[in-house]
Amino acid sequence: MITSKLKEAILSLRPGRVTLKYPFAPHDPEGDFRGYPELDTDKCIGCGACAAVCPARLIMIQDIDQNTRRMVRLLERCIFCGRCADVCPEDAITMTKHFELSTDSGREDMVAECEVFMATCQRCTRCYEPANPLDKIMEPGFRDDEIKRGGQDSPYEPIQSD
Amino acid sequence: MNAQQLGENIKQRFAAKVIDFETLGSDQLYVTITPDSLVEVAEHLYQDQGCRYVINGGTDRRQQRDAFLITHFFAQDEEKIYIAVHTEVGADDPQVDSITPVIPAANWSERETRDMVGVVPVGHPDPRRLVLSDDWPEDLYPLRYDVAHDVHPPPAEGVAPERLEPPEGASVVPIGPFFPVLEEPAYFRVFVEGEQVVGADYRGFYSHRGIEKLGCSVLTYNQVPFIAERICGICGYVHSCSYCQAAERAAGIEVPDRAEYIRTIMLELERLESHTLWLGIAGHIIGFDTVLMQTWRMREPLMWLCEQITGNRKTYGMNLVGGVRRDIKPEIYGDLRGVIDKIGDEWAELAEAIPGDSTLMARLQGTGILTPEVARARGAAGPTARGSGLAIDVRVDHPYAAYDRVEVNKCVYDSCDNRARARVRLGGTIDSINIIHQALDDMPDGPIMAEIDEELPAGRQAMSAVEAPRGEVFHWVLTGAENRPERWRVRAPTYANLQCVPPMLVGNALADVPISIGSYDPCFSCTERMEVVDVNSGQVRVYTEEQFRAEYDQPGAK
Repeated sequence: MITSKLKEAILSLRPGRVTLKYPFAPHDPEGDFRGYPELDTDKCIGCGACAAVCPARLIMIQDIDQNTRRMVRLLERCIFCGRCADVCPEDAITMTKHFELSTDSGREDMVAECEVFMATCQRCTRCYEPANPLDKIMEPGFRDDEIKRGGQDSPYEPIQSD
Repeated sequence: MNAQQLGENIKQRFAAKVIDFETLGSDQLYVTITPDSLVEVAEHLYQDQGCRYVINGGTDRRQQRDAFLITHFFAQDEEKIYIAVHTEVGADDPQVDSITPVIPAANWSERETRDMVGVVPVGHPDPRRLVLSDDWPEDLYPLRYDVAHDVHPPPAEGVAPERLEPPEGASVVPIGPFFPVLEEPAYFRVFVEGEQVVGADYRGFYSHRGIEKLGCSVLTYNQVPFIAERICGICGYVHSCSYCQAAERAAGIEVPDRAEYIRTIMLELERLESHTLWLGIAGHIIGFDTVLMQTWRMREPLMWLCEQITGNRKTYGMNLVGGVRRDIKPEIYGDLRGVIDKIGDEWAELAEAIPGDSTLMARLQGTGILTPEVARARGAAGPTARGSGLAIDVRVDHPYAAYDRVEVNKCVYDSCDNRARARVRLGGTIDSINIIHQALDDMPDGPIMAEIDEELPAGRQAMSAVEAPRGEVFHWVLTGAENRPERWRVRAPTYANLQCVPPMLVGNALADVPISIGSYDPCFSCTERMEVVDVNSGQVRVYTEEQFRAEYDQPGAK
């Protein structure tokens, strides 16, 4: 009994202090950490590959008219898997190391929108050729209802288009 | 005996009652039988063939066949075979004979099939609602194809689960559904006579999220692994791995060797994380927080390592159908070996100190007895089964990934108490470290993802099991059109192990209940009645909910 307690005491004392100073000192994640997915809106061509593979289905697409596609990302739902960054044909998405994402000003902070000029695009999906047929785009062609549907799927209010 | 021979045996014995059978490799058998012979075939497999019951699943095939497909899954561990017994029941009369009277382990899953698909198990001894919330409408079956995945029926007031009545003279101690020590909601009603536990009732599924429905209705093959991984927060990798293996097997995709080794290593790292976490929690429950602090300190470098390898401390996101997304780079092998060896050394010290600690052992020894008979009848898995002397371990019995190329030791103890289950995990941790070393030694070079040229064919099926830290995880995938499974059935090990808890509690002192339930702690907030003490007279009056509402729950009440 006593020897057991002594062994346990030694085991507890040996490592010394292990607590990190975080959050009072910054903390950098390891190498290939997957944090906030950043979208370079200049590179985005609006192909919708990211929306097709996203397991949390947080990327909503709305074709406002023949020339404009709006991509809305509800990032509060993001599970940081990085599949969007994997499949993006233009490498427009980067998984950053940014992980401190809590916000005190409501969900708007975690909603990212971009509008992509589609010129005479026919939405044939040929600009994204999946390396793996399982990652194909399930809904080719124009869409105008995904954002509204997203609103019904999820506990969130639908995002109104102007 | 292989799957083909077993199929022929069954065909010979039951003749015309076996409509058809097919095999997948030498280790998977699919038998289709007539509905009226279900009980005798199940009994034959369970009693005569020595099979272990896994789970039941229901599939709505009214679109294809105008019928519901009811499937009972069995495992023959000695012969390394998984068996699926299919039977079709007509859509106009959705009921099927219950096998629970002959195989108690089918109790929950038959009720789940009734709740989710609407096929009634006739003759079920305890046909109460299991999975759906108490206010869910009677005739809405979520897993039917014509029910939308996001249907939200309106909530109802004043509903409560049907409860088992305690035996004559016993009092009820409610534990749950919400209590401060652990996050997970579960509602145990422990029946006590004085200190002694004489029975228990369980109501759970408060955090049912309808993941199977999502996998079969809105997600695609490669989205499912990420949702599967979120079935469990502690050991999610086993689920994504098991799902991917089932889908790969169904489609005939050959996974590259290196990917299989990476899966093996990640599974064992996850087991290390889980066992260290479990021991800490167990220490915490019995009031010995040193164990909690120290095991979690040991565990931390492992979490950093996993972040380095996979990009995340937990919920690695490594698996896709066909292989893994990230390589374990040779530069990291050294770090990996260093981290697990450090854990191994400290763990060995701890494992040596614990058995001599009489206060700790007094809580573990002789408490929470689970006899091998009950364990088998209720379908116990993993450390729960191995602590009761049942030598089952999927890694050895049904090798997957690279487990056929490494040496795995089945860690079995037969004292059937909480101590035995603790020792299985203490020993299993050291084993995991050895397995990781072996896998790193033999790690082949090459690709980590199979080339997939075309979409997965529809109508194929495969089963896959993985030994999770808590026991056998089992997935069955029936491939469908539209780039997603037609049916994806999941069984987590706790599903089986939790069914062992009520018999396990009987005969214990109430004080041993928390550690016996494993990680559940009593809470006094959930009482079914309300006590009001009149401070002036000191008189105590006990109200039922209705009486209380009648008196107080109205405008202007005192």
